[in-house]
Amino acid sequence: MAVIVKKVELSWLDRTYVWPVLKGMAITFGHFLRQITTPSRKRFTIQYPDWKKEMPEGYRGLHELKRFEDGAIKCVACFMCAEACPARCITIEAEEFSDLTHTQGFEEKRPKVFKIDMLRCIYCGYCEEACPKDAIWLRKDYELAAYDRLSMQYGKWDLMNTYADQDGKLRLSEDPTPAAPRP
Amino acid sequence: MPTQRPRPWSRPIPPATVIARALHLAPETFWMVVKVLIVLLGPLSLAALLTWVERRGSAMLQDRIGPNRAAILGRWRLLGFPQIVADGLKAFLKEDLVPPHANRVLFWLAPILAFLPAALGFAVIPFGQSFQSGDRTYHMSLLDPGNGMGMLYPMAIGALAVYGVLAAAWGSNNKWSILGGMRASAQMVSYELAMSLAVLAVFLTTGGYDPHEIIESQRGLWNVVPQVVGFLVFFTCMFAETGRLPFDFAEGESEIVAGYLTEFGSMKFALMYLSEYIHIVTASALVATLYFGGWRVPFVADPGPILSVLAFLAKVVFFAWVFVWVRWTLPRFRYDQLMRLGWKVLLPLSLGNFLLQAFLIYRRG
Repeated sequence: MAVIVKKVELSWLDRTYVWPVLKGMAITFGHFLRQITTPSRKRFTIQYPDWKKEMPEGYRGLHELKRFEDGAIKCVACFMCAEACPARCITIEAEEFSDLTHTQGFEEKRPKVFKIDMLRCIYCGYCEEACPKDAIWLRKDYELAAYDRLSMQYGKWDLMNTYADQDGKLRLSEDPTPAAPRP
Repeated sequence: MPTQRPRPWSRPIPPATVIARALHLAPETFWMVVKVLIVLLGPLSLAALLTWVERRGSAMLQDRIGPNRAAILGRWRLLGFPQIVADGLKAFLKEDLVPPHANRVLFWLAPILAFLPAALGFAVIPFGQSFQSGDRTYHMSLLDPGNGMGMLYPMAIGALAVYGVLAAAWGSNNKWSILGGMRASAQMVSYELAMSLAVLAVFLTTGGYDPHEIIESQRGLWNVVPQVVGFLVFFTCMFAETGRLPFDFAEGESEIVAGYLTEFGSMKFALMYLSEYIHIVTASALVATLYFGGWRVPFVADPGPILSVLAFLAKVVFFAWVFVWVRWTLPRFRYDQLMRLGWKVLLPLSLGNFLLQAFLIYRRG
């Protein structure tokens, strides 16, 4: 298909070239004045390491494994997230435990190992959607960097503590109830 | 209250003479040394400041922030001023590389050839009103009025600047550099003529080519008013002369990498880069002298040394800012557009202006 190029008729003033240049300079100077009179907090640039951007609602950042009040993990090791994960980055190993307050003496499941390979994760949020217990959330932290690949393998306790400092919660490193020995 | 009798020893001695005596120098020699220092270091420090103005100013023109991370002792950022020092230090500490097939002599000579004309051009430009002190007249330009070179000198020196570019281009043995050098020389040829004609019109109305005479002739009315066209042509040509953005064909980073600068690094590059800014300062001074009354202050007949120097500085800084401002407003011309503008627009305009001024003088009788 042929493209019809419209020829713009320039007035004599525009064809002097000087007048359009002056107009352009007026525009850039307007920007200059606006930028120089704006306090730096209100400029477009967010000066990153010093200031951070508030991420929008629904942003999918670093995961958190949620916990109950007593520090027990909410995850029941149903493997739904691992199944839903398109990047296959979640590794779960289950174990059993008895907790009378929650389970009336019955044996319950929880993950012994819950590992996410952050190098493989694509932050799609499918695990969050798949979870029947609302135990895994993708929250707003995006500053994920490490000096070696191994530090990007987040284990169960890493994932439970990812937002502990931000939320003012204790950092956990132990389940409140011991695992039940397998018969 | 006792009447004060004039005493022979209390005759006011000019401060310059006092300092000169303390240094065991004749006042003339002392004043010469001071002028050399001003003329050499003034544009140099202005150019260093201009690099800051360029980076922060361009950032503000484009709604950015610009360099503000360099800090003195990691604490005082001072609006990015330490960036100048950081850049200089970096340039000194980097490896000074000469490409293996380059012409070593030319490669070493090029930064000097680029730097010297830029720094020399300032010598005849008066940066303030001449003043009387004691029984001597002190002139505020390195070369006193009536030196016989006048404004021809900065024009000639400015035209030499292209040799630095050419030497850099040829010496680098790089195709991008050669293209840049070729463009620079073609550009110089097509703009020098229009510029010279514009300056000639000023000489014509002044009746002389000494910068002091030119400034003297602008006592009532600055030259911009009767010679707007000449001013526009001259200012445009100054952009070409300094190789600034609408005409930065020698560099043309989006087309020919960095043109004649491609192979240059470390302090050699810094010198080339700095000479561009010194060129801007000199060009601004030329524009101020030729068309904006040099050190003249509007509505003040005799501003005196301090006020006149300040006025001149203000004008130079303003035009240097315009150079920066235009650079971040206009995109680069195409090569053929440049040629057309040079030969078909600026040259006839300049010639027309020249003839008009000549006709006006003839009419006035």
